[in-house]
Amino acid sequence: MDPFALSVRNLSTVYETPGGVVHAVRDVSFDLRQTERLGVVGESGSGKSALALSILGLIDPPGRVTGGEIELAGRDIAKLSDRQLGAVRGKEIALVLQDPMSALDPVKTIGSQIIEAIAVHEPELRRSAARKRAAELLREVDIAQADRRLDDYPHQYSGGMRQRVAIAIAIANNPRVLIADEPTTALDVTTQAQVLSLLDRLVEEYRAAVILITHNLGIVSEFCDSVAVMYAGRFVESSGVDHIFMAPTHPYSEALLKCVPNPERLADGPLPAITGFPPDLSRLPTGCSFAPRCPLGREVARCHEEAPRRYEVTGPAGPATVECHFAERRIPAVSA
Amino acid sequence: MTGAVTRRLLGSLGAIFGASILAFVIMRVLPGNPARLIVGPLGSPHAVASVRSQLGLDKPIYVQYWLYITHFFQGNWGYSYTEGQSVSKLIGEQLPATVELAVFAFIVTMIAAVGLALLVTYRHRPVADRVVRAISYLGFGSPPFFAALVLLIVFSSVLGILPGPEGRLSPQAVPPPTVTHMYTIDALLAGQLGTFWDALKHLVLPGVALGLASFSFLVRLLRANLLEVSREPFITVARGKGLSRWTAFRRHALPNAFLPTLTSSGLVLGEFVAGSVLVEQVFNWPGVGSLVLDAILKQDFAVVQTFILLSAVMFVLVNLAVDLLYAVIDPRVRIPAAATA
Repeated sequence: MDPFALSVRNLSTVYETPGGVVHAVRDVSFDLRQTERLGVVGESGSGKSALALSILGLIDPPGRVTGGEIELAGRDIAKLSDRQLGAVRGKEIALVLQDPMSALDPVKTIGSQIIEAIAVHEPELRRSAARKRAAELLREVDIAQADRRLDDYPHQYSGGMRQRVAIAIAIANNPRVLIADEPTTALDVTTQAQVLSLLDRLVEEYRAAVILITHNLGIVSEFCDSVAVMYAGRFVESSGVDHIFMAPTHPYSEALLKCVPNPERLADGPLPAITGFPPDLSRLPTGCSFAPRCPLGREVARCHEEAPRRYEVTGPAGPATVECHFAERRIPAVSA
Repeated sequence: MTGAVTRRLLGSLGAIFGASILAFVIMRVLPGNPARLIVGPLGSPHAVASVRSQLGLDKPIYVQYWLYITHFFQGNWGYSYTEGQSVSKLIGEQLPATVELAVFAFIVTMIAAVGLALLVTYRHRPVADRVVRAISYLGFGSPPFFAALVLLIVFSSVLGILPGPEGRLSPQAVPPPTVTHMYTIDALLAGQLGTFWDALKHLVLPGVALGLASFSFLVRLLRANLLEVSREPFITVARGKGLSRWTAFRRHALPNAFLPTLTSSGLVLGEFVAGSVLVEQVFNWPGVGSLVLDAILKQDFAVVQTFILLSAVMFVLVNLAVDLLYAVIDPRVRIPAAATA
């Protein structure tokens, strides 16, 4: 059997701040098959970006990865030194960030920033050859007059174009895994759709697996094969993408889905919101971290006292892993 | 681009014009009659009147201003009555000492500010960071002449590792053969390593005293800029490409953090001109600062008004050069943002 493109086991990351230890990523495990697209959804501050940086080994002090294994095509990269990881970053796992306005160095040309991504992994490559590859990459992401526009600076590009450049940088070395952290959030809706379809095409073409971090469930339904719902640093529910839309099992997943604007539900009155706030990641409750906001567990003593284990359940649209004491009881209710 | 350059050039001319008016007016409204000072208390009214007309002080005020400006730019800076020499000769003799001190102070200031800012931002170093911040607070709060006295007491009197206020060389040392008038460079040119070392040792304390305030300012600015820039997403992107921490920092954080500092480094010159007047006095440094302080005390107005206009011109030129350099380094200044597609 093929090894997974990326396999993460029990990954945990903390930030040691003066206000206490912030548990940004808690015991996260998942497997990513080759060319699989995993959507990671959750509220702001649920640890999604910290997860992305942890996988790349880019957590800077006061942050620290406290444990876990990260296997890239069968090789554990969690224990590699920063220098050794340099050969992995950009080459095997690439990153696209949210804000295209600040993801490019304002005082360097677009060309030099793409060439840099190529040259760091192929130091023997001649500059003219690297430049040619950079121009090809720009054409690949649909930038007109690519040869000429290599010498432009980021401020001469629009937001959507900059995000295309960021994608060009990410695919420059044909990576096995692409981590895209909210790649379309900062763009307007039409540009979002363009960038997303570009990403879709390129990932297909380059046969890369994708971790798409977003808070937009609509994007997940369009783009992803599987989904993980992140809450307070944990994957509280992970499954194939159909399961989450047909039978959201964790109460948090269900609540998230209800918050998606839907024209058919306009008559139901105002858009529901999840009451309360995400927990302070430096003062996590002992039980389920969603319990204080949970419509099911708010009044249940067990939910506040005992952290739920992982339940493997099978819903109408396939299997799911859910961290909720009610997981097994909720499945038949849905399928009935 | 040319429009921006023209605007800056015009602005510079305006600044020089303003400074010339200020220098002219101040020298005219100061109490004391320069002609009387030159002639002396026992001189006859007739002699006073003749000196007045020699100096052009009997002419209408706008003619006086016109003469002041035209003479200044012709290099005809008048005579110092206290020294009995032409001002251009005096300044020509004393300026290299000041320039040498200022250049030394600038180099030390920049190296120390950049180095320490890098040290405390490249990695998380809480202790070093606190020390650097403490030094910069102290340095920021100490006027140069006070810093000069403290440095003299500590390093010359108590520790005895650096020379005291004896000017540019030890009393027994012979100045190197004159080429540039800057002793360190002249000594090196002549191959006199001993003299070079002596001149360098004499530069340390006045250089540090002169540069301390600017250093404190620059190190804080650079530290804050570096911290801010190193948190920018483009640094994460650069590291995500596979660049080492240091390469990402050097290629992307440093240039971006340095840009705002560049403008301030032009202002450092102004700090040095003002500071040199007192620091040179403390260290018996035979530079323009000492010359001017003397001239002010003796109301030697030819020297003072030349100095004011000369330093204004230098200050404006340096800052103009900095602005133009900025445009070369920062593409956002070079190309108007309207070019965005």
